[in-house]
Amino acid sequence: MTNHWNDLQHTDCALIIGANPAENHPISFRWLTKAKENGGKIVSVDPRFTRTSSQADVYAALRSGTDIPFVGGMINYAIENNLIHKEYVAKYTNAAFIVKEGYDFKDGLFSGYDEAKRAYDKTKWGIETTEDGKPVKDETLEHPRSVFQLMKKHYSRYDVKTVTTVTGTPEEDYLKVCKTFCETGKVGKAGTILYAMGTTQHTVGSQNVRIYAILQLLLGNIGLPGGGINAMRGESNVQGSTDFGLLFDNLTGYLGAPKASVPEHATLKGYLEKETPKTGYWSNKPKFVVSLLKSWYGANATKDNEFGYQFLPKGNKNYSHMNLFNAMSKGELDGAFLFGTNPIVGGPNAGKEKEALGNLKWMVAIDLWETETSAFWQKEAGSDPSKINTEVFLLPASSSFEKEGSISNSSRWMQYRWKAIDSRGEARPDLDIIHEFALKLKKLYANSPKSADKPFLALDWNYGNGEEPDIDLVAKEINGYDLKTGKLIANFGALLDDGTTSCGNWIYSGFYPEEGKNKSKNRDNKDTGGEHYLNWSYAWPMNRRILYNRASADASGQPWSKEKAVIWWDAAQKKWVGKDVPDFKAVTAPTEPGGTGAFMMNKDGVALLFAPTLNDGPFPEHYEPYESPIPNAFSAQEMNPATVIFEENFNKRGFKVDYPIVATTYRVSEHWQSGTMTRNQEWLSELAGHMFIEMSEELAKEIGIKNKDKVIVSSARGEIKAYAMVTKRYKPFTVRGKKVHQIGMPWHFGFKGFATGDTANRLTPHIGDANTMIPEYKAFLCNVRRAD
Amino acid sequence: MTKYVKYVDVTKCDGCRACMVACKNWNDLPAEPTEFLGSAQSHAKTTADTWNVLQYIEHENGKGNLEYLFRHSSCFHCTDAACEKVCPENAISYTKYGTVVIDQDTCVGCGYCTQNCPFEVISLKEYKDKNGKEYRKAHKCTMCTDRIDEGLQPACVTTCHTGAMEFGDKDAMIQKAEQRVKEIKDRYPNAMVYNPQGVGGTHSVYVLAEKPSVYGLPDNPKVPTSAVLWKDYAQPIGKAMIGATTMAVVGAFVANKIFSKKANGHDEDGGGNHE
Amino acid sequence: MVEMNLNRRQFLKLSGATAATLAVVELGFNEKKAYAKTKEFKIAKATVTPTICCYCGVGCGILVHTKNNTVVYTEGDPDSPINEGKLCSKGTTLRQLYTSEKRLTKPLYRAPGSNKWEEKDWEWMLDTIAKRTKETRDNSFVEVENGVTVNKTEKIASLGGAALDNEETYLLSKLMRGLGITYLEHQARI
Repeated sequence: MTNHWNDLQHTDCALIIGANPAENHPISFRWLTKAKENGGKIVSVDPRFTRTSSQADVYAALRSGTDIPFVGGMINYAIENNLIHKEYVAKYTNAAFIVKEGYDFKDGLFSGYDEAKRAYDKTKWGIETTEDGKPVKDETLEHPRSVFQLMKKHYSRYDVKTVTTVTGTPEEDYLKVCKTFCETGKVGKAGTILYAMGTTQHTVGSQNVRIYAILQLLLGNIGLPGGGINAMRGESNVQGSTDFGLLFDNLTGYLGAPKASVPEHATLKGYLEKETPKTGYWSNKPKFVVSLLKSWYGANATKDNEFGYQFLPKGNKNYSHMNLFNAMSKGELDGAFLFGTNPIVGGPNAGKEKEALGNLKWMVAIDLWETETSAFWQKEAGSDPSKINTEVFLLPASSSFEKEGSISNSSRWMQYRWKAIDSRGEARPDLDIIHEFALKLKKLYANSPKSADKPFLALDWNYGNGEEPDIDLVAKEINGYDLKTGKLIANFGALLDDGTTSCGNWIYSGFYPEEGKNKSKNRDNKDTGGEHYLNWSYAWPMNRRILYNRASADASGQPWSKEKAVIWWDAAQKKWVGKDVPDFKAVTAPTEPGGTGAFMMNKDGVALLFAPTLNDGPFPEHYEPYESPIPNAFSAQEMNPATVIFEENFNKRGFKVDYPIVATTYRVSEHWQSGTMTRNQEWLSELAGHMFIEMSEELAKEIGIKNKDKVIVSSARGEIKAYAMVTKRYKPFTVRGKKVHQIGMPWHFGFKGFATGDTANRLTPHIGDANTMIPEYKAFLCNVRRAD
Repeated sequence: MTKYVKYVDVTKCDGCRACMVACKNWNDLPAEPTEFLGSAQSHAKTTADTWNVLQYIEHENGKGNLEYLFRHSSCFHCTDAACEKVCPENAISYTKYGTVVIDQDTCVGCGYCTQNCPFEVISLKEYKDKNGKEYRKAHKCTMCTDRIDEGLQPACVTTCHTGAMEFGDKDAMIQKAEQRVKEIKDRYPNAMVYNPQGVGGTHSVYVLAEKPSVYGLPDNPKVPTSAVLWKDYAQPIGKAMIGATTMAVVGAFVANKIFSKKANGHDEDGGGNHE
Repeated sequence: MVEMNLNRRQFLKLSGATAATLAVVELGFNEKKAYAKTKEFKIAKATVTPTICCYCGVGCGILVHTKNNTVVYTEGDPDSPINEGKLCSKGTTLRQLYTSEKRLTKPLYRAPGSNKWEEKDWEWMLDTIAKRTKETRDNSFVEVENGVTVNKTEKIASLGGAALDNEETYLLSKLMRGLGITYLEHQARI
């Protein structure tokens, strides 16, 4: 989230799309309800009329997988009706930049496409620069090759008629959404976009988010209270776990993992040169990288050995979830650790993922419960135990209040949890398990002369002498030290690239600036202004609560409006002041070079309407999902041309002729993710005890199904049984003149726990977003029939 | 003593059901097996172990628009409570706050209260004593009277995040409800305050988005005349004459005769098990 | 526990005798004096510890009431500005994470081809896991690839971690990368 939960109360309009916060982030509605009381509007855009829709002022249905037409049409509407915040756009985005000759867009393809590789040559999307490397601009936005004009042209194709025939949205509802939300382009108003997995879990997931961001930038809604683009995180610490580098391609703090496939990465020097931009805040990257290496390799990281850079593994491919399971299904993996995760319920094409586990020699699951995944070898799972040779180790883990530590919520607030009670039975905190496991390995490898063992032996592991690690030492390592004085470092501004500072995760640096002051433990709940609660917990980076808040002020440093003021330039004090910590260099005057660079993480200090960095194009463009009931109305490209397609065996594809119904998955309030935490509890199992499929009355009638009947849902990957929930909250769509049905189902169920049921993900495909490889859970094809 | 009212504005409810589990958590109520009901709703109505149930209703309003309505349903804590009137053992009483509570030590499980509640919120639960003998007790929402005693609000109200529920001074809450109805008339033309006078008003006061019948509520619930007769006339006289225990048996007979009793498998031995 | 970082006011509000303090907040009076009680109040004499909800990304504050070595009640933390004492159904039932009969209480081992779990002690489990890890790593470790130092193993995967604490994710990332593991993924992807 650029903003935070409490800040939602300041919004003039919340556009909720690809999310259902009333059911999945219920407490957000405490603040959205407040926003309504303050006169704000709520717009809910969802294929299904949800509990969020029930609280909305405007509801519009869209067929799953059509966010880009939906929002692209809003962009067109805002430009056509002159509702954009032009000054903001000219100053704070790259709208004025001139795109180089050679950029083109034709029939769904941008210039530079290589069909054989299913990839683009992104150098074809360059920006014109002056001799000293600065972008060429036309702040009138009139130049035909200006980003603004190219964007305007691109989205002129997204007229209301075309859009609504693709999305299936009634035109009247669509125009209501456009009008209501685009009102926030006025100075003094702010609109927010709230989204979740309904947005990201598509083959065009990244571009879905991008198009929301473009709309928000055009309306001048980023950096303002009640504005922003807000991803609502589904897990309590999925923010933190991502910040701390638990994805293959990032070390901590979004420092890219070195790759064997990039020649420059062979040395630290080459890596830093290649990955460090000359301008923008990321120009400090070497300081963060070297300080991280010092945290990981301690005294073994020296100037002479590239600070231990060579100890880091260098991969040569994409190791993300689906590739991981593809490799596992081919027998390429021997061992796996699973920390509180249940992929045979939560992973895509889950039947295939279950089969793959049988190819492991050993598997370690650390969990509070016996999950479907740890029990994949059992008869209940449909397996023959005698034929599965995987050794399984299941370790009982402590629950969140049986240990202490911090987690980071969607607002990036790092909050501390104290230990309330000793662990149940022999359960142990994950921290202890990881620590003791590391010590045992250190012992096994001790004194090994082999060069292959050197990287592990070099790993600095000093968290006290007991079997239980000292969590405070871990916390301090994350914050970092001035190694010359041995004192905790004040914040990442003090980090250096010469090996004299250490820092385990630079974006968090500053949360523990001196002994005894772990700010994640801060519990002063006094409102410090603007409902930002600066003394409650610690928000990374630097305790900033609204990201890009420099953009809440105009180029001269004064707030665009009194209503939405956050920070402003105080000429007398010669610094930025206000209600939040400036997301900007606090002493840089608006008139100084870079003084208007509100998006300081980007190299030119502006936000990118035109993003030549994505794999699937500089502007979001509509492509149909991998499995779609309808040809693409916008071009001859049916699906995202840059998406990786797995071989047939790993991912069967279904077509309309056999599977005419669009399906999506979602969650219910009472269950969480793959259900292990909640289906093993009685009260929640009582409230939501059954697997069901939601469908419209019209579809039920067509296929002869009554409410509460048992039905079988099939896709090209498998079949599941469930109850039919026939509801008025689903309506058939009219898409390009044809009737299209959509159904939806929760993905929480499995065969363990109190509440059991078939696993929805046995239906979902192994296909993902062109940039992130997030699976397309939210739009696939299926069929439904009566079970008996 | 101040009378308190639980104010429930169903138009602010987003159906999260925290109220249902907060109740179970505070009152240590066990989970019970539930069947699939064809909607998100978990229980058809309140039970002896589930004192409040969230209703989910899909309703097409006069304009043809779909409304997805939710209602926290539990004991209304009537000012003139039929349950209190028919209880042969005086196990049901009014507290000084206006809440209606069942004394578990006194309850004999006769079931009159369950039959006569105009809102059907009281249920019997069967138990076995250490000798294997079965007995029953009536259960319902207590409005967390034990919490009110400590100055706390009912658990369901405390957890409600949208402000759909509040707890406070009766007059203030009723006033709030009336004010709220005015605010929402545009969106919900049938909105109304539900505080039925046929039972003397209630201590759960609702702002309903639609007519009571949409929620399966009686338009104008009343304490049955027979219940009034029983409590105010027959029972005192009977008790004076033949003692409370026997009176309960007589009560069973009276109840069967004069209250239009519903068919219920457990009713055979209605008042007979109380010893 | 929490004593270190709670200021005086908050400590009073959170510790044992809370009911009276909270009473003033919620109803503006304390009825206790006027009404004799027979049963002990459910959360009287309980220890109260603040935590953050383990479910979605909102990060609501929760108070865990413990007594006689069990969790007797969980409720919203009124001091948290995020939820101000309110919770959803999942947050409200945090208590059953501790009390559920389905909790794993012992390490379990399943041998190849076996159809059942066996109880094992922690020492044996961690020793054996460490052995398996070393064996697989040693058999698959690549030091140099096309002349570039790569120091990796592609035969071990580590998945999960979105429910772990930050300190845990930090150590996990450090350890797994330290071992040379490249298949390092978690729920952010799925």
